[in-house]
Amino acid sequence: MRGSPWRRIGWRNLGRNPKRTALTALGLAVGYFAVVFMVGWSEGIVAELIENSTSLVSGQIEIHHAEYRPERSLYDTIGGRAGADFEALLRAIDADRAVTASAPRAYAGGLISSGEATSAGMLLGVDPAREVRLTRFLDPLVAGVLPAAGRNELVVGDELARQLAVGVGDELVVVASGADGSMANDLYAVAGIYRTGLVEFDASTAVMPLTDLQTLVVLGPDRIHEIAVATADPSTAAATAARLSATLDADGRAVTVAPWTELNPVLREYAALADSVYLVFIAIIFAVASFGVANTMLMATFERRREFAVMLALGAAPRSIVGIVLYEALAIGAISVAAGAAITVPLMAWFHVAPPGLGWLYGDVTIYGALLTPSLRVGHNVPVWTWATVGLVLTALAAAFYPALRAARTPPADTLSGI
Amino acid sequence: MQESPARRAVLLAAAAIVIGQAAPAAAQVDARAVIDRVDRLLRGDSSRGVATMEVVTEHWERRMTMEIWSLGADHSLVRLRAPQREAGTATLKAGDDIWNYLPKVDRTIKIPASMMGGSWMGSHFTNDDLVKDSRLIEDYDVELVFDGDDPDGESVWEFRLTPKREAAVVWGRIDYRVRQRDDMPLVAKFHDEDGELARTMEYGAWAEFGGRVVPGVMDMRPADKPGERTTIRYEELEFDIDVERSFFSLRTLQRGR
Repeated sequence: MRGSPWRRIGWRNLGRNPKRTALTALGLAVGYFAVVFMVGWSEGIVAELIENSTSLVSGQIEIHHAEYRPERSLYDTIGGRAGADFEALLRAIDADRAVTASAPRAYAGGLISSGEATSAGMLLGVDPAREVRLTRFLDPLVAGVLPAAGRNELVVGDELARQLAVGVGDELVVVASGADGSMANDLYAVAGIYRTGLVEFDASTAVMPLTDLQTLVVLGPDRIHEIAVATADPSTAAATAARLSATLDADGRAVTVAPWTELNPVLREYAALADSVYLVFIAIIFAVASFGVANTMLMATFERRREFAVMLALGAAPRSIVGIVLYEALAIGAISVAAGAAITVPLMAWFHVAPPGLGWLYGDVTIYGALLTPSLRVGHNVPVWTWATVGLVLTALAAAFYPALRAARTPPADTLSGI
Repeated sequence: MQESPARRAVLLAAAAIVIGQAAPAAAQVDARAVIDRVDRLLRGDSSRGVATMEVVTEHWERRMTMEIWSLGADHSLVRLRAPQREAGTATLKAGDDIWNYLPKVDRTIKIPASMMGGSWMGSHFTNDDLVKDSRLIEDYDVELVFDGDDPDGESVWEFRLTPKREAAVVWGRIDYRVRQRDDMPLVAKFHDEDGELARTMEYGAWAEFGGRVVPGVMDMRPADKPGERTTIRYEELEFDIDVERSFFSLRTLQRGR
């Protein structure tokens, strides 16, 4: 601390009552920690929601026939009635730098029956080898193995298995409306059981190899309803979708390329809302902290009113007195930031890498169609850290402003005469 | 004796009441009775028939031949004879439950409640249509809304059926047009709870089956899918046959043909 004497006086005053200084700085540091940690935790929840909703079952990007959503008709396959060379499409998609995996899918509604019990369900046809690279729900399975093509095998959700009272190796009847109007039906063996934790999905969806589903519902081998795409970073999904849309000539082919932000608008809005709430967090926490600082500074300046009176009597400008107090506050702010970072950084790093689970407290939660395993996982948000740092220093200064003014207005004669 | 004005007024009033009651009585139809006759027309106490069902949708057309047994409103059994690939597929309705027998896999499955609104055998009829096939006059209030000639010069009645308060029915309103000369239904328009037309059923090709004149063709057109239809055409139909309740069992369903 070189430079003006006022600055030096301000800095030295920190040592006047080290315990008080330490407590004040600690108060601010804890406020800083609270802001960064709460925002980080909220960020972690949002990140996990997005990640789960886009990597558990659906992809971050989904490609459909332009008419497919929202009715999801069996007939609206990519490329229309003729179907499409989807292997070529998959190759083109995989060639994109942001794409980590892609997989074809077909859907059909149907009845799934164990004989005693029957459920209305959704049949999902997948390419198992591609699917496990895209989504997590089939790997690992709760029990059994993935279904092999051409062997009338399927995997069901654990809730569906429970409702139908079947296990691995048991037999299920599947009935569906064929694309030719026939009542398609066949027997399948349960090869495995999966669990996503999304109860509705687990209670309704049976997954079988794509070709088996196409055979059952009389769809040609070129006809699929969806290509799901995974990208390296969910936040770039929209840009990647736009790029794929151009690559695939989406308009010419009558397909839509939709990122998760479009497929799950509620989740997108939640993420946006969380972002705007962070600043409110910061304001509230620092507002509380500022009263603590103001109180300390008020006490400290009152204690030193004789000192200020002497300075003023010797000709110091009131502006300089204000400067002393504000410099002191600034120094406290700087120490608080250092202390706050010292507390926050290791904890954030720990909670980010190995978040303590809260599953014992809540169990799994499903929010906006995304599974959430409660944990103290925290996410990064550099703008919020910056705001928190700036906010802390501003708080220290703002809280010191009134005590500084009072100090500057100390009446020298009265004060020194002991009145 | 001098007639008092008061006494004359009373007499006039009495006459008016008598005439007033008699005059409409001659013209008025018993709406409930007509609808009940229409309702029983195709049912009888029991029946057996063979019908073809033609389903036309935007995506495909198919034709099925089926044999149908019924007993009262609560029991029926339908078994496909053609097409060959699906021959033997059968539906049993007993009370509120429906089972389908699938010969290809030799299994019987009960239709879950959540699928009662689903299509029956790929047609525009739903499973609910089979189950909720209750007596119209029990579930609906009947009101005559038109009595006159239709555009073809045929004298017709039009009845509006609105569900009774406690009735568990699918429709919000049914408009029936009935031919006066023989109480034959011509058109029924089914409206949903919002009053929107949901489907139109047309009757035609009246013919004598089993000693009764009945419409030999029923044509159902869903309002939300223009160009689509399901047409049922009777080839054989006999009434009051010798069939026991025990016939409508899972055992009969699975016996196949």
